[in-house]
Amino acid sequence: MSDSPMFWRIVRRLITANYGRLFVILLALGAGAAITSALLNLQIDAKRRLTTEFRALGANVIVAPRETNANSGGDTLDQGLLMKLPTENAGKPVPAVAFLYVIGEVAKAGEIHHDAAVIAGTGGQGLTQVRPGRRTEYSAEFEKDPEACEMGAKAASQFKVHAGDSLRLRNQGREATCKVFAVVATGGAEDTQIFTKLAAAQMLADLPGRISLAQLSVTGTPDSIERFIAALAQRLPGADVHGIKQLAQAEGKLYNRISGLLTTTVILVLILTSLCVMAGMSNVAIERKNDVGLMKAIGGSVRRVVRLFLAEAILMGIAGGLVGSAIGILGSIWLGKAVFGVAAQPRWIVYPVSVGITIIVSIASAFPLRRLASVRPASVFRGEA
Amino acid sequence: MFLRLVADSFTRRPKRKMLTLAALALGMAVATAALSVSLDVGDRLAQEFRSLGANLLVTPEADSLPLEIGGVDYRPANAGAYLPEADLGKLKTIFWRFNIKAFAPILETQVKTSLYDLDYFPDPPPEARYTFIGTWVNHKVEIPDGTTYVTGIEKTNPWWQLKEGRWFSEGKNECVIGRNFAVQRGKFRNRETQTEPLTRDDLKPGDRLLVYKLKSQVPVSLQIVGVLDTGGPEDNAIIAPLDVAQTLTSKPGQYRRLYVSALTKPEDAFARKDPKTMTPAEFDKWYCTPYISSIALQISQELKGTDVRVIRRVAEGEGAILTRVRTLLWLVTFAALLAAALAVGASAAASVIERRTEIGLMKALGAGSGLVGVLLAAEQLLVAFVGGGIGYSVGILLARLLGQKIFGFTPEPKLFLLFIVLVLASLITLLGSAYPLRRASQYDPAPILRGE
Repeated sequence: MSDSPMFWRIVRRLITANYGRLFVILLALGAGAAITSALLNLQIDAKRRLTTEFRALGANVIVAPRETNANSGGDTLDQGLLMKLPTENAGKPVPAVAFLYVIGEVAKAGEIHHDAAVIAGTGGQGLTQVRPGRRTEYSAEFEKDPEACEMGAKAASQFKVHAGDSLRLRNQGREATCKVFAVVATGGAEDTQIFTKLAAAQMLADLPGRISLAQLSVTGTPDSIERFIAALAQRLPGADVHGIKQLAQAEGKLYNRISGLLTTTVILVLILTSLCVMAGMSNVAIERKNDVGLMKAIGGSVRRVVRLFLAEAILMGIAGGLVGSAIGILGSIWLGKAVFGVAAQPRWIVYPVSVGITIIVSIASAFPLRRLASVRPASVFRGEA
Repeated sequence: MFLRLVADSFTRRPKRKMLTLAALALGMAVATAALSVSLDVGDRLAQEFRSLGANLLVTPEADSLPLEIGGVDYRPANAGAYLPEADLGKLKTIFWRFNIKAFAPILETQVKTSLYDLDYFPDPPPEARYTFIGTWVNHKVEIPDGTTYVTGIEKTNPWWQLKEGRWFSEGKNECVIGRNFAVQRGKFRNRETQTEPLTRDDLKPGDRLLVYKLKSQVPVSLQIVGVLDTGGPEDNAIIAPLDVAQTLTSKPGQYRRLYVSALTKPEDAFARKDPKTMTPAEFDKWYCTPYISSIALQISQELKGTDVRVIRRVAEGEGAILTRVRTLLWLVTFAALLAAALAVGASAAASVIERRTEIGLMKALGAGSGLVGVLLAAEQLLVAFVGGGIGYSVGILLARLLGQKIFGFTPEPKLFLLFIVLVLASLITLLGSAYPLRRASQYDPAPILRGE
């Protein structure tokens, strides 16, 4: 480019000649870029967030004694196992709770008649995460009580117990008391159980330091959960580590469906948006016939003329892309908050990708200009279209 | 003359109009595709969520407290209450009957088992107890309105998959056994040659199983027809038709637990209100919305003496995810609309800017600003209608493609979408050309005609 100052001067003039047109072009390109970057960012974020949302389903991995079955329910594991469980998977904490089940006798304090009920001692972090349900009664004050316990809804109505009441628990001569701080409805077997501290259940069962099983709620894609289970099984050779098939299967299926839906919709929208922007831009570009005619008339070669317009298109693409993509990413952060309640994390890879796409679209929209090579200056000046 | 001018602008420069048309058609195709997918996908996804299994559990109201650990009920055999199987058809008569996708009653009991060979006497039953589950598979239910409905546990619990063989048929003494049970109760096959070491084979479809009620010496003989893999406590159990379990427990026509899988609307703040505190109008609205809680109430009204509980982990997990995904899709749809609108607007604006000379000429010939505006607007509207129509058809095709690829279903083309798309197209083109048009109608013809 020997005459580069002249070249750039012409480009500058091309761009600034008509502010109305400049605005229209930048708006179309910028909007395209904003939507591209916002959707890409949101899509990456949503897939990851989806795995977190699935944990509303509760525990999906169980560590149980090996060779246990219905008739030998007495098998237990060592409580120390709880310390060996990984605390996170794929950067997300893994709530893990140990359970020890005892069939004991229960009575509301002050009443003589005892009834059989399942007492579940729980230890570890995140009981509400592994056992999702709805607390129909709750008292934060009693939760701090050293003998606090939680009661399933069905059991609570059977014993006519409410938050704040005390219970007497006994099993083969061993006795304990506890104070109900919450009533929980899960719709499952938990509705009939009484959740005490692990130590209380171990005392009642006379099984110090033992647990029946541990439940974990592992966040991750179906593949990553499988790897987690395999790794944990290797680490705990004495126990049986397995996923809950009901959840694993449904989660896998739903994850694939939803992420497939998102990906295809986003790709579709992006392709159509690019085409749309391109068609709109081409319309603007064709209008440059007069300019081309003039340039050719004063001796510009077709190649030079086309290069001029390409340079203009690239500059427009860069400007529209840089501004639009930045707006899009900022927008997606806010949108992530609107959808998932947590601001979407900006992925910086999205930025160059979306700027690149915008530049490509911008160049592609200048493509019809190539046809202008056949423009005959004379006919343009005569006003023949 | 007016129409001739409009028609002329199309025939004179078809290529230019084609581009504007293309931009519009593409934009409207995005809008149509995204809108029809978002409209349909909620229902589709809700169906997919049924693969999580039942979301309602029905138990007898007057039941004693179940002593359930790991899926096994440790209550004595005769404790607790039962429900009549004959009532179950009523489930399909509630207000939201079409939202009841599947249901299956369960009658469980503890049994002892032994194996049976034609050549030998039955083994004496060992002490080990196993859970025996009676339920429905492919069961025809008589509905009070005279029709029948086929449902069963394979529909409520889709993760109950057979590893081998087939499901039992009702009315026959057949059963399906859990995968672990098949291994644990494997039988010694090579008994005739004393010298060989005893090998233990897993139970297989075709083997016979004797099932004893606890404290009973009279067995029921069942043919094993399949091996079940559920990943849960059922892997240690024997699953048989409900009537076999009823005979075994001497509880004819009764069951103990009912799983119901219902399509629901995710609960919102309104659904969490206590129905007892609602005004009659609110109650009607709540009752006539397929919230899980209103379906639960309707079931308990039909099936007397029951306690209908929402399985929270399923219902709430489903609600949370469904709401999020729906919002997300609407967002994508909105983004698509926005992109389409801007591109179409840009295109419309460009086509007006380009025609300054023409406008100048018209004004020089005596046309008023209003007339020029109306003329150009009419032209744009024509483009909007044609482009919108083409975009709609393309969008519907795209939506079909999408639906088939992801969900294996084809969304119904919705005519009201055509209406929406046409209105949208006209609005966008008019808005896009409004500003340039206004500017154009204010032009002084003289400088334009001079080419300045």
